[in-house]
Amino acid sequence: MAARRVVIVGGGTAGWMTAAALAKLLPGRCDVHLVESEAIGIVGVGEATLPHIRSFNEKLGIDEADFMAATRATFKLGIEFVDWGQIGDSYIHPFGTFGPGGGDVDFHQFWLRLRQQGINVPDLDRFSMACTMARMNRFALPSRDSRRLDSTFGYAYQFDATLYAPYLRKIAEGMGARRTEGRIVTVHRDGETGDVTSVQLESGEKIEGDLFVDCSGFVSLLLDKTLGVPFQDWSKWLLNDRATAMPCRTEGQVTPYTGVIAMPYGWRWRIPLQHRTGNGYVYSSQFLSDEDAAEALIGAVEGERIAEPRVLRFKAGRREKSWVGNCVGVGLASGFLEPLESTSIYLIQAAITALLELFPEQHISAVDRDEFNRLIDLEYDRIRDFLILHYHATKRSDTPYWDYVRTMDVPDSLAEKMDLFRRRGRVVKYREGVFLDASWVAVYLGQRVIPQGHDLRADAPSAESLVAGMQKLVGEIQGLSSGMEEHGAYLRRYCPMTEAA
Amino acid sequence: MTAANTADRMRDVVVVGGGLLGWSAAAALRRKIPALRVTVVPLPPPPDALAERISSTLPSIIEFHRDIGMSDGDAPLRANCSFRLGTEFQHWNGPLPSYVHAYDRYGQPFGTASFHVHWVRQAQAGPTPPFDHYSPAAAIARAGRFTLPETDPAHPLAHFEYGLALDPVAYPQMMRACALHLGAIERQGAVEGVRIDGETGFIAALALDDGSEVKADLFVDCTGPRALLRGELDQAFEDWSTWLPCDRLLLADAPPAADPSPLDRAIAHGAGWRWIAQSRSRTSHGFAYASAEISDDKAARTLRGHAAADPQAPIALRQGRRPQPWLRNCVALGDAATMVEPLEWTNLHLAHSAIDRLVAMMPDRDCAPVELWDYNRQCAAESDRVRDFLALHYAASNRDEPFWRQVRDIAPSESLAHTMRLFAERGRLPFYEDETFTRDSWLAVLLGQGVIPRRTDPLIDSVPPGQSEQAMAALRDGISRIVPALPTHAEFLNHMQRQAAR
Repeated sequence: MAARRVVIVGGGTAGWMTAAALAKLLPGRCDVHLVESEAIGIVGVGEATLPHIRSFNEKLGIDEADFMAATRATFKLGIEFVDWGQIGDSYIHPFGTFGPGGGDVDFHQFWLRLRQQGINVPDLDRFSMACTMARMNRFALPSRDSRRLDSTFGYAYQFDATLYAPYLRKIAEGMGARRTEGRIVTVHRDGETGDVTSVQLESGEKIEGDLFVDCSGFVSLLLDKTLGVPFQDWSKWLLNDRATAMPCRTEGQVTPYTGVIAMPYGWRWRIPLQHRTGNGYVYSSQFLSDEDAAEALIGAVEGERIAEPRVLRFKAGRREKSWVGNCVGVGLASGFLEPLESTSIYLIQAAITALLELFPEQHISAVDRDEFNRLIDLEYDRIRDFLILHYHATKRSDTPYWDYVRTMDVPDSLAEKMDLFRRRGRVVKYREGVFLDASWVAVYLGQRVIPQGHDLRADAPSAESLVAGMQKLVGEIQGLSSGMEEHGAYLRRYCPMTEAA
Repeated sequence: MTAANTADRMRDVVVVGGGLLGWSAAAALRRKIPALRVTVVPLPPPPDALAERISSTLPSIIEFHRDIGMSDGDAPLRANCSFRLGTEFQHWNGPLPSYVHAYDRYGQPFGTASFHVHWVRQAQAGPTPPFDHYSPAAAIARAGRFTLPETDPAHPLAHFEYGLALDPVAYPQMMRACALHLGAIERQGAVEGVRIDGETGFIAALALDDGSEVKADLFVDCTGPRALLRGELDQAFEDWSTWLPCDRLLLADAPPAADPSPLDRAIAHGAGWRWIAQSRSRTSHGFAYASAEISDDKAARTLRGHAAADPQAPIALRQGRRPQPWLRNCVALGDAATMVEPLEWTNLHLAHSAIDRLVAMMPDRDCAPVELWDYNRQCAAESDRVRDFLALHYAASNRDEPFWRQVRDIAPSESLAHTMRLFAERGRLPFYEDETFTRDSWLAVLLGQGVIPRRTDPLIDSVPPGQSEQAMAALRDGISRIVPALPTHAEFLNHMQRQAAR
């Protein structure tokens, strides 16, 4: 069978992740040809990632320490949310469980029960390995033995996305992927089927293909500009449409977590890499001008500025279909969700995984395409609800921005979930969603959504035995964490960056 | 908050139904939520309550027993239960050999693809040993042998699960003893009426035949299809008969075999299907059929011919489910919630699963709609996928009788159509929440009935077919070496008994 000619439109993170995965995992099935223009900058979103990226790297045969050194990466155990429920609040959304895991009653139920009984138990994040390590600025790789407490956390990376793409490019080209430099000026389509047949560059060169992957970012050259696939606009729930980004030199500790700090008209990220710290203010242009945002950001960050603030524009939502005809959108070309929970690279990865599993033959089957779209829509929709939760579950009323999000109507799917949690701390189960129960619990409780009751099965043990068990658990978590290396020291030993910035 | 909370707490639960289901529900409620007062009104189960009548059960029963504090040995040693490893399906698809659906891992993934992708590629290229030759439990079951799963995950026998064949008398007795031991209260009497609060629509009390009333915060209806309590609140029903056309059931009991097979047989028939399930206490025969295609008399003659025993009166079967098994303060379990033919033995499984859910989601006395909504949503998702799995057996058959052609001509439910479309295209199975049967179970039936995907997954390209065949031959050899050394089912049971007596 002849290999399919796959043309990837656009480099950047999405383009090179796609190219590397296809070239490495489907050799013989496809010829990968990537077209990118150095004149078009890349957005380089998502310097902070989710633990899923590890399995992606593993499949590509990437050595962790080598990759981390090359992308100047640090470890990430979770996200610290500051000032969200109320100004002065702070909680960590950890990668991992609360409590030792296992058992049919969730740990937080026992915790809720004791609190409701008026017993003063430590904060929930003291029962999380990941939260405790993050607060203590420690790191070690998790144990593989699921009976051990130090197996109950996961981790991801914070890295320089502008270095990840070239790293993947080497792998892709090593596996035979071709790259052409140039700006696309025309997209040619079959008069009958409407399928894209080729893209034409400024130079006049035509690149033909059977399958086109749109990695052109916000431009959405194929899905939007060529095929006119409608966009589902979610900005009535996710107001933010701008970000201003500005890197600084890292000063002080390199934290093993991302910082997400609520601001008067949005929020600010803080992503520590080995050589610098990424900063940015994500806001709504209805409420804040670009100049004021930049000023607020400059006022808030620590460390010496490396560059001036740069503004990005976007809109929350997704294309009604991510795969239309013979064009598949990956990354920003298919949708955008603000990086509040570091989902940008995850969404790229989800699309690539689905494309690999549903990779078409010469004739593209509607069954494959429909399934791809179903899977991607599910991913977007679930993350959407989780993000909206962060805005809606707040007591803040310091600006019209927070007043709006606090009182807005949320999607029914989220309203039901919140209602259910308020009753007795139940989390609607999603076995295959990206954010599992502990994530929802962390955000609910961290943002002051306090259940009135609890799971009655949590009443079975005596209060004394529970309190004693919890004290022991906190001690063990504390002990294990303090025995670990300091995060910065771990990085210097494990994966020091190859050259200074 | 704390004080108000305590007053709203669920306190009194009344379970109506004195079969194994009512007592199982009472035992689980008492065990998991000791603060509840649980009263059982032990009405004898009606003959059409299949969760009570069908003795073959799925592996989930083992977990259910553990959850209420029973040991794995209790059911076989104290309640005369025996083991089952799966079901052999005969004549569901014309020329193909019979196939076994065991509760096991089929094959072992290697390279970058799951096992069935390798098998499919071999099957596309030419004749290849059947898919069930790669399940150790299927081979053990066909040989009439039994053993417990190994604990070492590297062992070929580490991945199967087993169900139980229940004794119709001893098992309910054991569950009753267990529930009473856990503190459930038995209250004898027949239910003469259900008094409903005019304002809230909640059940206020049950009137018993001795003139007394039983009040409770929550009523659990285990009275079978008639749904004595829950049926008073509404009669809404979602009918599945277009996809599951059998509307009659005949049961007949014959004496037990000396060495009962751990493998049940489900044999397709021109107007339905019949089964043979051997256990320690009896050999159960049954016949599920469509009354439009065969008369009750003729069906009874057919079954009598096979069973050498007289069938009992036919049971009318209305397959489908209540859209809301839990409404206000009344929750229906078992056949009162979902009624489905015993193909794949899901009747008691669905009931157990509902009990687990009830315990996990126990609301306050107000039975807040948002909490019931989540309960009902999960029940619906689970039973709809069970429906799909059963309907698959019909939809993927190529038998020629009018009964079979009709059911095949009807469009499957949207979720089953999606599953079959994806699978037929490239051997992929979609993910659904609250799925009872594992991917291997779906594969066993799909591939067993000859649904071969049109093409193979590209992820298998890196493994040459010769290498697949080599690995597959090694798996077959491994299985054929293990089986002869294992005890027969009777030997295993006797050994277990002797060990316990020591």
